Amino acid sequence: MRGCLAGVAAVGLVTLVAFRLHLNVSASGSLYLLTVVMVSVVWGFWEASVTSLIAVNCLNYFFVPPVLTFRISDPQDWVALAAFEITALAVSRLSTRVQAQARAEARQRAQVEKLYELGRRILFLDRRRTIGPQIVSLIQDIFGTESVALFDATLARLDATGSRAEDLEQLARRAYFQDSTLEGADSHTWAQVLRLGSRPAGALALRSPDMDRLAIVPIASLAAIALERARSFEKETRSEAARQTEQLRTTVLDALAHAFKTPLTAIRTASSGLLEAGRLTADDAELAALIDEQAEHLNRLATKLLQMARIDAAEVRLRRARIAVLTLIEDVLARYREQLHGRPVSVSGSAASLEVYGDREMLAAALEQFIDNAFKYSTAGSPISVEAGENLGEVVIAVHNEGPPIPPADRERIFERFYRTEESRHRASGTGLGLSVAKKAAEAHGGRTWVVSDEQAGTTFFLALPHGKRRQLDAVERQDPDR
Amino acid sequence: MQSNGKILIVDDESSIRRAVHNTLQGMGFHVDEASSGEAALRLVLEAPYDVVLLDINMPGMGGIPACRGMRRSLPRLGILMLTVRDSEEDKVAALDAGADDYITKPFTIRELAARIRAAVRRSSASHVDPDAPIRVGEIDLDPARRLVRKAGEPVHLTPKEFDLLHYLMAHAGLPIMHARLLRAVWGPEYGGELEYLRTFVRQLRKKLEDDPAEPRYLLTDSHVGYRFAEASPEPVAERA
Repeated sequence: MRGCLAGVAAVGLVTLVAFRLHLNVSASGSLYLLTVVMVSVVWGFWEASVTSLIAVNCLNYFFVPPVLTFRISDPQDWVALAAFEITALAVSRLSTRVQAQARAEARQRAQVEKLYELGRRILFLDRRRTIGPQIVSLIQDIFGTESVALFDATLARLDATGSRAEDLEQLARRAYFQDSTLEGADSHTWAQVLRLGSRPAGALALRSPDMDRLAIVPIASLAAIALERARSFEKETRSEAARQTEQLRTTVLDALAHAFKTPLTAIRTASSGLLEAGRLTADDAELAALIDEQAEHLNRLATKLLQMARIDAAEVRLRRARIAVLTLIEDVLARYREQLHGRPVSVSGSAASLEVYGDREMLAAALEQFIDNAFKYSTAGSPISVEAGENLGEVVIAVHNEGPPIPPADRERIFERFYRTEESRHRASGTGLGLSVAKKAAEAHGGRTWVVSDEQAGTTFFLALPHGKRRQLDAVERQDPDR
Repeated sequence: MQSNGKILIVDDESSIRRAVHNTLQGMGFHVDEASSGEAALRLVLEAPYDVVLLDINMPGMGGIPACRGMRRSLPRLGILMLTVRDSEEDKVAALDAGADDYITKPFTIRELAARIRAAVRRSSASHVDPDAPIRVGEIDLDPARRLVRKAGEPVHLTPKEFDLLHYLMAHAGLPIMHARLLRAVWGPEYGGELEYLRTFVRQLRKKLEDDPAEPRYLLTDSHVGYRFAEASPEPVAERA
């Protein structure tokens, strides 16, 4: 509207000057044309059109004879006026188009500069703080948007800044779940899914009245890169921290083992030495035997606790090697034999070549626990059987004993740390740690443990481990031919 | 009192040295103490010992380097390592360094005494005629005639089974690592064929043991190797 008024004023001025100077039709026509073009350059095509209509009427009234009337006597003047109007319109059309192009180019250049700045500043984000809020305020800051929202799918986190950000958050979430680009209710709100490779990692939404619709695509790419960078940095820091923690834990555990075993060794040496010397009275010998037994019990307890702690630590790193399953079972039985007090144990296996790729010490601890359990909670003198086989890509070791069944409610919970059933409290001495050691050990190998128990069939504990992959085993073989 | 042998106990913990010293002395051994690997190395060169009890974990020179040092200058010395962790690596490292045997803390004095006796026997018996007959419990082995008897009854063994049994019985009471056993019996190019060895041991157990699932003679040493039962002074047949 302001453009129109200015156009009218300019036409009035030109009319006054030209009329006073008594300029002829063609000279004053040129001045009018100049005015129209200038209006089109400054304000645009629509304002120029209005100005040109007023100008053509003024030209007719003041300069085309008979002057000071709208009548036109000479038909040639009709042609001249029509030509004036058409030229005015065409020229203003052209000039506004050129103008618009220049403006678009300038805007694009600014956009590219802003994107460049965003890319540059993303490199300097503080990696120790959460990345999301930093990205949104950076975009807001550089692009002067009304509001920005970022949905980080990995952390399930939404960050937003600016006014009316709630519906932006919704839009960002939807863009992520629909895996696409969405447009908001008003024409200047958009959301774009963020991709890392082919995987959607989140979404970016922004509202900005004067931003190009396509600009969101490169902004989203930069945001995705920023998220990815933060993620890999975090991963790096975490694994470094985990490595240090494990190292520390191993050191502490070794020191602890030493600290526990030293007094126990002295006590057992002394108590068993007293018994061996045979110079004690029957009562004294009874007391020395009690010290000996309890020292041994304390030793088992300490061993189990350390095993537990080590298995917790070993989730970070297993010392894997190829292990022949039947040899492992035989080893464990040999080590445990003394505590079985002559209880018959049978071992059977589907194939002598059955192998797993795992941490020997840890698997032995798990197996020993199963055997210990079978021994303690079975009918005295009844046989125990250990069976190893292969089932659906898993190596399954089953330890079976006869005896009272485990109540269904307890079958999961006995694998929890420190849980002991009512029954087991009365029947046998134990720490409540053992089965949780077995479970942890299995899980650290990507395997599992479970129990099947009923009155008739007795109780069977199962340990299932992923099958030692042929390729893995061969690789180990090549590295270590002397095992 | 007559001496059963001269023992050196090496441990940085004085409580363990005291306990072992007093009990072994009570059993008729002559016992000396050292609190570090360095001191132990000096002592074994100054006076002859039958067996050294050597802790693996000590500040300064640990048990493993000390063991290597002793073995270099005294091939006949009996060396028994004391380990804390029941860990495969420590045991293998100990045997690799030249130890005769290992024992895991805490131990009973009965176990310790048995291991010491086996080590003493090895250090005093290595000049014995290699063809001398060996007897452990009910098992008799005559190397010259390649004959094995159990409770007087001949046992038929294949040549490799005999070699395996001979090697194990010649080192009765001591642990023999898988690789060492394979090389000694099958030849230097062997060492990794664990399953192979296992099969032979199973066959031997079937022929020698009353109950192959509960071996009394041919024992498994977890993760390390095999050990033939010690020729105990009292009759083995207490279980029957």
